[in-house]
Parts: sequence; C-alpha cells; structure tokens
Amino acid sequence: MSGGVEVLLGLLILAYLGSVLVAGRTIRGFGLPSGAEYLVLGVVLGPHLLGVVQRSTVKDFEPLLGAAAAWLAFVAGLGFSIVGERRVRLRGAVLGVVSASFVAGLVGGALFFALGALDALSPAERLPAALGAGAVSCESTRQAVRWIVERHGARGPVSDAMADIARTSALVPVLVLGAMFAMASDAPLERLAAPARLCVGAALGLSLGVMAAVLLGREFRRDESWGLLLGTTLLAAGVTTRLGLSAMTTLFVMGLTLSFVSRHRFEIKLMVEPTEKPVMLPVVLFAGAYVDFDAVAWLPALVAVALAARVAAELVRGVAFTKLVQGAKGAGPLIGLGLASTGSISLAVAFSAFIRLPGAASSLVLAIAAASLVFGEMVAPALLRRALERAGETRAVAPVEPSPLSSPRAAPPRAEGTGPAP
Amino acid sequence: MSAQGEPEKGFGSRSIQALALAATFGVLFAATRLAPEFEGHLRTVSAVGFLLLAGTLLSELLEIIGLPHLSGYLLAGVLGGPHVLHLVDHHTVEGLSRVNALALALIALAGGAELRIDTLRGLSKSLGVAMLVQSVFVLAASAGAFVALAPSIPFVQGFSFWPVLGVALLWGVLSVSRSPAACLAILSQTRARGPVSTFSLAFVMASDVVVVVLLAIATMIARLLLGSAEGFSLHSFEALGHELLGSVAVGTTLGLVLAAYLRLVGGQFLLVLLGVGFVLTDFLRYVHFDPLLAFLTAGFVVQNMTGQGARLLHEVEKMASVVFVIFFATAGAHLDLPLLARLWPVALVLAGSRAAATFVAARLSSRLAGDVPTVRAWGWSSLISQAGLTLGLAVVVGRAFPTFAEGFRSLAIAVVALNEVIGPILFKLALERAGETHREDLAVRTSLAPKPRATSGPA
Repeated sequence: MSGGVEVLLGLLILAYLGSVLVAGRTIRGFGLPSGAEYLVLGVVLGPHLLGVVQRSTVKDFEPLLGAAAAWLAFVAGLGFSIVGERRVRLRGAVLGVVSASFVAGLVGGALFFALGALDALSPAERLPAALGAGAVSCESTRQAVRWIVERHGARGPVSDAMADIARTSALVPVLVLGAMFAMASDAPLERLAAPARLCVGAALGLSLGVMAAVLLGREFRRDESWGLLLGTTLLAAGVTTRLGLSAMTTLFVMGLTLSFVSRHRFEIKLMVEPTEKPVMLPVVLFAGAYVDFDAVAWLPALVAVALAARVAAELVRGVAFTKLVQGAKGAGPLIGLGLASTGSISLAVAFSAFIRLPGAASSLVLAIAAASLVFGEMVAPALLRRALERAGETRAVAPVEPSPLSSPRAAPPRAEGTGPAP
Repeated sequence: MSAQGEPEKGFGSRSIQALALAATFGVLFAATRLAPEFEGHLRTVSAVGFLLLAGTLLSELLEIIGLPHLSGYLLAGVLGGPHVLHLVDHHTVEGLSRVNALALALIALAGGAELRIDTLRGLSKSLGVAMLVQSVFVLAASAGAFVALAPSIPFVQGFSFWPVLGVALLWGVLSVSRSPAACLAILSQTRARGPVSTFSLAFVMASDVVVVVLLAIATMIARLLLGSAEGFSLHSFEALGHELLGSVAVGTTLGLVLAAYLRLVGGQFLLVLLGVGFVLTDFLRYVHFDPLLAFLTAGFVVQNMTGQGARLLHEVEKMASVVFVIFFATAGAHLDLPLLARLWPVALVLAGSRAAATFVAARLSSRLAGDVPTVRAWGWSSLISQAGLTLGLAVVVGRAFPTFAEGFRSLAIAVVALNEVIGPILFKLALERAGETHREDLAVRTSLAPKPRATSGPA
C-alpha cells in the first residue's frame, strides 16, 4: 500500500475515536443516526471537493472494503429472521420483502424512464442503472427503527411489524446485486446462464453456512468460534469474487442459513453485531469519497427523480400498512415514509456495484444511494416516531441513550419492537 | 476450538472436521481452476479465509496424535501454499506480510503484558544466568558448527578463514534468537501455568532485546573480519542506542495511551488494536525503531504501571485464536520447500547443533542459578522454536552484507523451517511432562502472573 494509505487510515481511526468519544451528544440529538456524518466526510475529503483523498489512494482500500461490505451482508443475513430474542413473524417478513420489492420496482421504473427521457445514459446502461437505483432505494435500515423504539419506548404490534419489515427488507437489494453481478458479461463462469450463476453464489453461501453451523457444534465458545466464522466468511467472499459473483449475496445467504440452521444463532448474532459499526464506518466514508458529481449528465435531476419516486412509493406503502398491519390505522400513511431510512446495506450494495461494474451507471447508483441515505436519515426517524405516537405505541418515558448502531453492551438487552423493559 | 481441559471429541466430530477440511481445500481448488487468471481485489481475503479455516481444522485433527495446534496451522500453509497445491500463490503470500506485521504486534503486546515485575523479580537470577550462558554458549557453538560446515555451504565457498568466521558470528547471533510467537501460541493453546511456562515466556520475550544488541556488535566485528569498506565504526552503537531507546520511548507512550483508552473509552478496543498494529508498525519501521520491542514495552507498561493489564490481556486473548492461525499458516505458506530440499543436510546439522547447544546451555545455567527441577529438566524446550523474528534478522544481515545476502537468507529459511516445525512440538511435550497443562481450574488463562508464589519460579 502506498504511504498515503497509512495517513488515510490514521485519519479514519482519529475520526472513529472522535465519534466514540462524542457519541450520543451531538448529531444524534438532531435525529441523524450515526453514519451519515462519515458519508459527508467522505464526500468532503474526496477528489471532487477538498481532494485530500484521491481515487488512487482509495483504490488501495478496495480489497478491505469489498470484504467489509460482504461482512455487513453476513450480519444482515444473520439478523434477517431474528429480532432481539424472537423470530421475525412470517407476515412481517412477507410484508417486508414484498413492499421493498414494490419500492425497488417503482424507483427503478421511474429512473429508467427518466434516463430515457433525458438521454443521460446509453441504452445498454439504463437497465443496470435502474436496477441498481431500485436496489439501493428499497431498504429500511433496522437501526433507525431500533433507535426510535429504544429512545421512545415504543411497544406494540405496529412497532413489531416495523421491526420485522426493516429486518427483512435487506433481502431485496442484496438479491438484486447478485442478479446484476450474474448478468455481467465478463463473469468467469461464462458457460453458465445468469440465473445459474446467481444460484452458484447462493449455493456456496448455503453450503458454507451449513458447514459453519455444523463446525460450531454443540458447545459454543465465543472467542474460539471467531476463527471458524471469519474463515468461512472470508473464504466465501474471496471465492465468490474470484468467480465474478456478488460476495454480498453469498454472505447474506450464509448468514441467513446460519440463522436458521445453527442452534447458536442468538449467540452468533450477539457476537457479530458489535462488529457492524466499525466495519460500516469505513465503507460509508470511502463510498462518500467515490461519489462523483460529474459522472452523469443531469445527475441532480436523476437523483431528484429517484428520491421523489421513493417518497411516492413510501406513501403508497404507508397506505397499505394502515390496512394490513394491525393497529396501524391511526398512524396514517406517513408511516411509510418512516421506513425511508436506508442504511449501510444499501450503500454497501452501491459501493460493491461500483467496484465490480465501474462506469457511469454505477456512479449514478452510488450517488442515489448516498442521497437516499442522507435524505432518509433526515426525514424518516422523526416521521416514524410521529407515526408510532399516533398509533399509541410510544410511552412518555425519559429518552434512553439511543444506540442506533451500537453494540449490545450499549443497547439494553430488550429487542426492538418489544417495548421497554417493565 | 478445543483447548486443554475440554472433553475429548468423538469420532463423529473428527469426521465432520475432516470432511469440512476437504471441502475447504475443494472449494478453493475448484475456484482457482475455474478462474485461474483472477486478479481481483479479494485474492488476499480468500487466502486469509482459507488459511484461517484450514489451519483451524487441521490443528484440531492433528490434536489426535498430540501435536500442537501450531503444527496444524503450519501444515495448512504448507499444503495450500505455492509449493504444493498452489491455492495461495507467491504474490498473495507476500501480500499477507502486512497481516503478519499486525499479528506480530499483537503477539508482542500480549507478551509484554504477560511479564509482571514481581514475576521478573522472582526470576531475575535464573533469567540473568540463562541469558548470559545461552547467549555466549549457543552463539559460540553455532558459529563453530558453521565454520566446521563451511566447505559444504555454497555461499561461503572461496572465503578464507577470517571472513568465514565473520559470517559464522552473524549466524551465531541468528541462532540465539527465539520465537515469541510460538511460545505464546503454545501457552495460549495449552493454558499452561507453572515454573516452565513462566520462565519460558520471560526468557523468550527478554531475549529479543539481547539479540538486537548482539546483532549490532556482531555486525561491527563481521565488517572487520570481512574487510568491509566501512570498517570499524562506532556509528553502529549510536544507531543501536537510537533504536533501543526510541523503541522503548514509543512503547511506553503507546502503553500509556492504550491504558488511558481502556480506562476512559473501553469500547471497540479490537479496532484500536488493529489500527495501532497496522499504522504504528509502519511508522516504527520508517523511523528505524524495533516494532517488537516497542509493542513489548507497551504491553509491559500497561500491565505494570496501570491497572488495565488484565483487560488488555483479555482483549488480546480474544483475538488469539485468529491471530496465531493467520501468523503461522502464512509462515507455513512461506516455507520454501525446494530450498529446504536442496539445503537440508547442512540445515539439519546446523539446526541439530543449535538444539544441542541450547540444551547443554540450559542445563548448565539451571544448575548455576539453582532452578527448580522442572525448569532444570524442561527449561530448554521453549528455546528451540524460531520463526519470523529470526527471518527478520536474516534480512537485516542481508542488508548489511549484500555480497552473501541471498545465500545467508536461504540457509536461515531452511534452518528456521526445521526449528519452526520441531520446536513447538517439543515445547508442548515438555509442558505436558512438567505437569503444567492439566490445570482444570483454569478455564481461561488470563495471565501468567505468579499467583501461587511457590510454583511460579525458583525460590
């Protein structure tokens, strides 16, 4: 690695330590869950503003960042079916996946037509751009829901449903990313059709997930399990990338498999969840440094179209929730916008696409992901809190220290969507 | 995975581990055949994953025949490395050297934190005598063996006696170096505690400083004997002083900073360790300080000058299962088997003479210091292992004497390969024979602190 990388790594560590020291006293007070500040910092330090971080320097970090993005997907897969100490309800899971697919479809469709109307990208690039934009706009980050639930002591069926929907919505972007990678023309498995390539990645995740579950055995030894977990995940990430497939998709499947097969699923989840924040921050920061404001003509207009489409989709989703989720009638359609917070998964998906499929289309997707993250974090938590208040599920309790992305030690052992401890 | 004191694993568990190991090799083998021209970003990542998984599983399987985990890690690296199955290529192995630097930093930090002033005070006579006898006797015996074998060593062919003696002196210093990583890895696996463990750890960690000093002196003398243009110069001592004092100063500061972090913040210490390991190692090398000594000092400061020693050890211990596997599996992948095949007769004699000298010196020093019987019998066992530190010294020698750098380094690699494989096995065996591994009361080995004073070292 070049000398600049060490300087950059030092900066990152300083920034991280700073955020640890001041956490909970500054930005969170304004309703922005931790993470957006790193995106903004990345944009500011990146080549298009201050130029402190050059593209060539950031490139040195790509192996680490690719692995970090895959690890985030693993953690999301592991938590897909688990909320706190309970399983996600089937109804909530179906609602989460279907509604996220709807949002992805609407955003992707709107962008596809906008790209055609503005003639911003070549016809061949429009479909990948639309697919990517849909993928990075449909996730509802579980941290935002957890934050509101913990901070305001929300408890009830609506809170539970929101937690379930947020958990399961991560499936859609990860699957779309897998499909995009499988469709790439330079994949080493060129003899296989795209769906078969997607299945190869998923099968690898499934088999390594089963292997990890079996090896973790009957007795769970937390410290000694790290070697096995890290070994299987890194091997899966490396092999999948070698085959030109999406490491995020494979690791998501692997995490999902572990969450269903392993008898230690709760222990494993508790073990890996604290790693999410330290892994997420560099991904968010460097994704910010990669955002290119000149990559595509009409970029602001295209981002605005994607955001507007998401707002429209969320309002429709909100109306559907008021009819389908028990007790959500009083919350009103704004509850849909309460789920507009995208998180690290969306940004990691955009970043992975940018690394694997560089070009104008992936630059546009990354810009939309960044804009969605900032927009969602500014708008969604407040609206979700209001919706839950209107649904009568928040209590007049003194706000507890929120822990949107923090370790279980910082968070009380209570699950999101299950209300405050008595 | 399993450690001392765990219930025995049955045939079913072992079969599953064997199947998983085969699957691990199979997955990477298939991937390398399907996409052989892979130049992607995650090549290093898949190598780390493979070495971690294969090393862990192989160590479990070798446990059946009583071999230490470390042997399994090494074997995984050898099998997957560039000379056997070529699942991890040369380029990737070189790329993993940064991970190794991090591992070495953590190992040194843990080693320093294991050394308590009261332990060292109790062992001061034993350590002092052993250090003196080992350094003089092993250095002299190994140098003598080198001179005797000189006609069979390719890179000193044609040298007259005095230049050969100069190279032999450098070889003798290399022979005095030990492997802190191997020592800690075996202690971590066996959770051993007792006089042999305490003596071994303290001696191996402290000998790092002695070796650095000896190398500077030997380099100066060797320059004279080899008729180097630089000739005799006290500049080497100035550089040595700079290196030692600077490393200790940086290490002390780092120790205080780490202790302050543990006390004031505490959270995500793993990330801090990773950052410190990567960034500071590069910085220390840039300013020509010794990273191992600096991290050793930092651990020592945290343990003995702040109240955070136990916490630091606990945090590092959490990473041990990962750090040791990567470190030794990479070392296994690094092993140059063709070179070993070419140089094995000379390497075997040199390694054998070093081991014999170490054994004799240990017996002699134990008698002189009046060590307890177990140290007298088994104190030598931890001093056979050599690994990355010795190879690092060979690189330093190569830089100082470019005319025979390549040959010297190759011979060092061949000898270290033998000591790396045999040393840990001997140490584990000795700990078992000394009765220091079967401590069922120690579910977690937090420290080698001398809790029961009577058993922690010589009276």
